Amino acid sequence: MVRRVMAGDQSPQPPAGGAGQGWVAISYLIAGIAVWGFIGWLVDQRFDLGGVPIGIGAVVGAAGGIYLIVRRLGV
Amino acid sequence: MSTSLASEIPWPPSVDDFFLPPIVEGTNPWFTKVTLLVWIAVAALIIFFLVTYREPKIVPTKRQWIAESIYGFVRNNVAKDLIGHDGIRFAPYLTTLFCFVLLTNLFGIVPGIQMSPNSHIAFPAILAIISWVLFNVVGIRQHGFAKYMKNSLIPPAPWFILPLLIPIEFVSTFVFRPFTLAVRLFANMFAGHMILLVFTLGGFVMLNSNAWLAPVSVVSWLMAIALTFLEAMVIVLQAYVFTVLTASYIQGALAEEH
Repeated sequence: MVRRVMAGDQSPQPPAGGAGQGWVAISYLIAGIAVWGFIGWLVDQRFDLGGVPIGIGAVVGAAGGIYLIVRRLGV
Repeated sequence: MSTSLASEIPWPPSVDDFFLPPIVEGTNPWFTKVTLLVWIAVAALIIFFLVTYREPKIVPTKRQWIAESIYGFVRNNVAKDLIGHDGIRFAPYLTTLFCFVLLTNLFGIVPGIQMSPNSHIAFPAILAIISWVLFNVVGIRQHGFAKYMKNSLIPPAPWFILPLLIPIEFVSTFVFRPFTLAVRLFANMFAGHMILLVFTLGGFVMLNSNAWLAPVSVVSWLMAIALTFLEAMVIVLQAYVFTVLTASYIQGALAEEH
């Protein structure tokens, strides 16, 4: 059924789509904040520290997310 | 649901407006307009591609040209551009996905139907799960389970930051990807339907409530028409984004190192 147009075309792989990369970057950032914010919340629930670990978790997670964006998507 | 003055207009629009009664009263409650629309979409796509690809000609007929343009677009601009030459084997899935999402979205603005199955989270969720299983299976087949997990979970970083990064990688790849795929499509279609309800029903509410507000209801309906065109754009965009993201996840799973 499929007509193999340009089946022999072996052009080198172009960079992945910009939209996809944008979503990956956003998802790292949000995942970082969410995961470590949640871990901070767990710590807060356990030791009752008035929410401070949530903030620390969110900031550390954001830093981790940005680091991942740089390592995975940076040139 | 409150009604305004003497009218029987359900106002304000609510989530209840998305849960339609069964088509035939007193029969299976799951057989609603939404169910019927999904069946119609599946049948229409199967018939369309069977008919247009029957006896393909070197010089394509008009219908064959339309089908080939759609397939060619997904094959070249999504599968090949994003995944590379390897991606052509995913072009049939990506095309099916694109067409199905596009058609079911489109039901949201077709006059007389105006209900998209994708405004129920269940349908985008199933599509997202299919894409999720696909890119994981593809990755595991390509690299083997251990190496695929290592590729997706362990970024190139000094060992002492890894405990910080691995949970982020895990959640963003295996939890957020299917979740955001589903929610992005669902929320767009849900909000679109809601906005059209607000402006269409709102026009009737104003018409019925007060003589001074009656002329404004015309503005409300004009807005509803304008927003329908905006929805048309959102519909195509969301179908495209869903397909592009699936392709980009497959590309990520196939890549040697991210």
